[in-house]
Amino acid sequence: MKAETKKGKKKESIIKAALALFSLNGFYKTTIPDIARRLGMSAGNIYNYFPSKDILAQEIIKYTSEILGHEIQKINLQTDLTTHQKIKKIVEVYFNMATQKPEMIEYFLRVYLSNREVFTGECDKMICVAGFITEIMIFFADGVECGELRDQDFFSAFGLFMGYLGGMAFLNGESILSRPLESYIDEIAYNIYHALKT
Amino acid sequence: MSKSSKPKLLWLQSITCNGNTQSFFTLPDFIVLMNKFEIIYHPILNSGYTLADVTNKDLKCDILILEGSFKQDGMKKAGQEILATAQKYAKKAKHIITAGSCATFGGIFRQYDKNSISGFCFNDDMINENYNLFRKKLISIPGCPAHPRWIGSVLSMILTHRAIPLDDLHRPLEIYGYNAHSGCPRSEYFEWKIDSKNYGYKEGCLFYEYGCQAPYTHANCNKILWNEVSSKTRAGTPCFGCTEPSFPKKDLWHTPSLMGIPASMPVGIPRRAYLTLAGIAKSFSIKRLNEPIIKYKK
Amino acid sequence: MKIKQLIEKIEGEAELEFDFQNGLVNDVNIIFPLYRGIEDILRDREARDALVIAPRVCGICNHAHLIAGVRAIEDGLKKAGININLTSKAISLREFTLSCEIIQSHIKWIYLVALPQLSILNRIKPLDSYLAKASWSSNTVVKAMSIFSGQWPHNSYAIPGGVSCDPTYEEIIHAETLLDETIRFMEQEFLGINIEAYMKNQELSESKGDIATIWNLINKQNIQSKGKSHNRFIAFGEHEIFKAGEYSQNRTNEIDTSLVKEHEQPNSKAKSVTYNSLCYEVGPLARAMLAKNNRIMSLYNIHKDSNLIRIYARIDEMINLLLYAKKLLANLHPKELSCTLSKFPKGFSTKGIGAVEAARGSLIHETVIRDGKIENYTIITPTQWNLSPGTSKESGIAIEAMKGSSSAEEASFVFRIFDICSACTTH
Repeated sequence: MKAETKKGKKKESIIKAALALFSLNGFYKTTIPDIARRLGMSAGNIYNYFPSKDILAQEIIKYTSEILGHEIQKINLQTDLTTHQKIKKIVEVYFNMATQKPEMIEYFLRVYLSNREVFTGECDKMICVAGFITEIMIFFADGVECGELRDQDFFSAFGLFMGYLGGMAFLNGESILSRPLESYIDEIAYNIYHALKT
Repeated sequence: MSKSSKPKLLWLQSITCNGNTQSFFTLPDFIVLMNKFEIIYHPILNSGYTLADVTNKDLKCDILILEGSFKQDGMKKAGQEILATAQKYAKKAKHIITAGSCATFGGIFRQYDKNSISGFCFNDDMINENYNLFRKKLISIPGCPAHPRWIGSVLSMILTHRAIPLDDLHRPLEIYGYNAHSGCPRSEYFEWKIDSKNYGYKEGCLFYEYGCQAPYTHANCNKILWNEVSSKTRAGTPCFGCTEPSFPKKDLWHTPSLMGIPASMPVGIPRRAYLTLAGIAKSFSIKRLNEPIIKYKK
Repeated sequence: MKIKQLIEKIEGEAELEFDFQNGLVNDVNIIFPLYRGIEDILRDREARDALVIAPRVCGICNHAHLIAGVRAIEDGLKKAGININLTSKAISLREFTLSCEIIQSHIKWIYLVALPQLSILNRIKPLDSYLAKASWSSNTVVKAMSIFSGQWPHNSYAIPGGVSCDPTYEEIIHAETLLDETIRFMEQEFLGINIEAYMKNQELSESKGDIATIWNLINKQNIQSKGKSHNRFIAFGEHEIFKAGEYSQNRTNEIDTSLVKEHEQPNSKAKSVTYNSLCYEVGPLARAMLAKNNRIMSLYNIHKDSNLIRIYARIDEMINLLLYAKKLLANLHPKELSCTLSKFPKGFSTKGIGAVEAARGSLIHETVIRDGKIENYTIITPTQWNLSPGTSKESGIAIEAMKGSSSAEEASFVFRIFDICSACTTH
């Protein structure tokens, strides 16, 4: 294994461990020694990979955003799907992530959105989530281009779509929902499609 | 050089505003260049023949320049359908130049009746029956109007037997291989995705909001400049895409967008690549680019 | 006896059908070939599309079409209750670029029409230098205007609320230099005297400039006092240098645009136009009469609306405009706003009229906008006024002027004195 790849693997494992701890305990309550302990490495060694906790937090959001973006990209590339079918698939991807890798969604809601002061500088505005935003933009643009979605301001459509999914994931995380999250996919996809269609 | 040894040039006008004739007349070396030809007919220059001679006689012609869009029938000049006259000389000519977007694709005047009015060899970007007859000698110089140097340079290239590589619409690549955005002084604002505040400012890009089509318009306007001094975007006017078969589009002062994303991408740039870079560029606030370039004291 | 003649190289062609009686022109029928449908093309488009499409009416006076178009939209916006206040910078720039377009057009008329055609009438071979002079001097003026307008022909830099350019002093100076070069050309080659002396009415009799050649060639043909028409003049465009108004029976009156009527013609694609049911002359002579230009008025009192004075009015206007253009640049301040309308409104309905003075006379655009889109667009061009066939009571302006000509060649030259633009006539 090449040194670069080895370093990459290590970085990813630090990201995964930090992701789990941040989303469970919050950004400020989690310390670098906590993360090091979970990985069985020294805190000093972590700093070889990430110069600060803030930068680590920023790398995590890029990491999750790219994973989610990659999943949506796969849907965007399926040109034979209708916009309604694509919406359903995006909801599915999101809810699967919320149930199988809840830390990813939790991280976005509890760390990224709640500690904006951490995500400044190189991570200003939405750069760190660009991997995900770009794919959502392409999904919307394709929908408008084929005449299925109404042309409108990006953020009003984005807020409706992602705010809705985030809200459902939150309710699920708080164990408020009476049914499993997956059972809502059809209804929610229907609602989103009807709110955004031409 | 004796008169007869010069190539014979015939400039024929169909449905036109004369914009290409007027534009070509602004070429600084217009007279020197035109003296290298025997002028059979030209809308401004003295010529050896009248329009009636051109229509009724069978004159020799080496280079045929066409200006204006063509109508299937009902557009007579000196008693003859101008389309038939154009076809008569197109058969004889060694080179056919369609000067301007009307003669090339149909242009503005095609909009009046798309069923009967078109370019000489193209209906917008679709080839027509003339194309099959004349494609081997066809050079397209679209533009509304064509830049004087485009016509001048192509004529000189023909005179000096230089190669003229063409794109699939028969536009010379040395001219139309560039896009109108190349050389625009506003390109730094394009790179950093900084929109103009309104029309009337030297700062800011006109691509996002104000209708500029330069990144997907094939032309070297901003490289060689108009009238040797300026260009539309240098004067704060959006590029209207006048060298393209789609000219004139509708709603020309507004950039069409799909939920905030420009509907057309810069030539050859995939949307995903554009959006990734755009998203990053947009999230920085560059102080210098958000300030006036010059501050005049009150 | 009837003689048909195809008049060529007038931004297209026109066919003249002369009716001769006793060796003199008794009547003329003017026929233009094709309607190009610009007004129809504009229908259903966004209101501002007119600023791109309408200039394509004409390759030589396209800029006047732009200014008329933007004035029509601005008039409509005002009527819809939207505030339109142009800065003096925007007004000056529009006046400057429009003046330049008129100047280049007059230059082309002098060197590409008047001098060659007069030479031919006198059986003299036109000098090669005419073409070179036309090319160099018209292009120098066009270059000066393009610094601001972006290009010529066919720019769209005048926009509702002002202009799109935002020039620097450095660019203004560049334009001034080009104007100075043009003025020097006029002094050395055309007037043969310096421009200040000309403005002070210094006699041109000693001049060796091309202006002297024009007078000599006209005098040799003895057509200076011919070409008289109805002695009625009109101008609609309001400019600092031109006055709108109507001149008839030795009086100047205010105009009322509701008295302008367009009429279809059975045999031609050009619509004719009347004011208060009468034919009116537009163009440099009309403008000089309405602005009470002394040099022209004093000649007019002797020659009336004849060939000589019609030509002289165009020449004089060209010189006046060069000086006016210089003055406009001298007072131009880059720090002012270029455009004061911050956002073009959506979905509004209104009607607006825009009139400007183009090289050949008054140009009127009228736009009817519904929900932000053009419902109807009407363009009345200068040549429509001068080439109108007339009414049941009188012949049109140019036809009246051609009457009494002793040959088709002479009549054709009288026709060309109006600086015919076939393209504009059949928009």
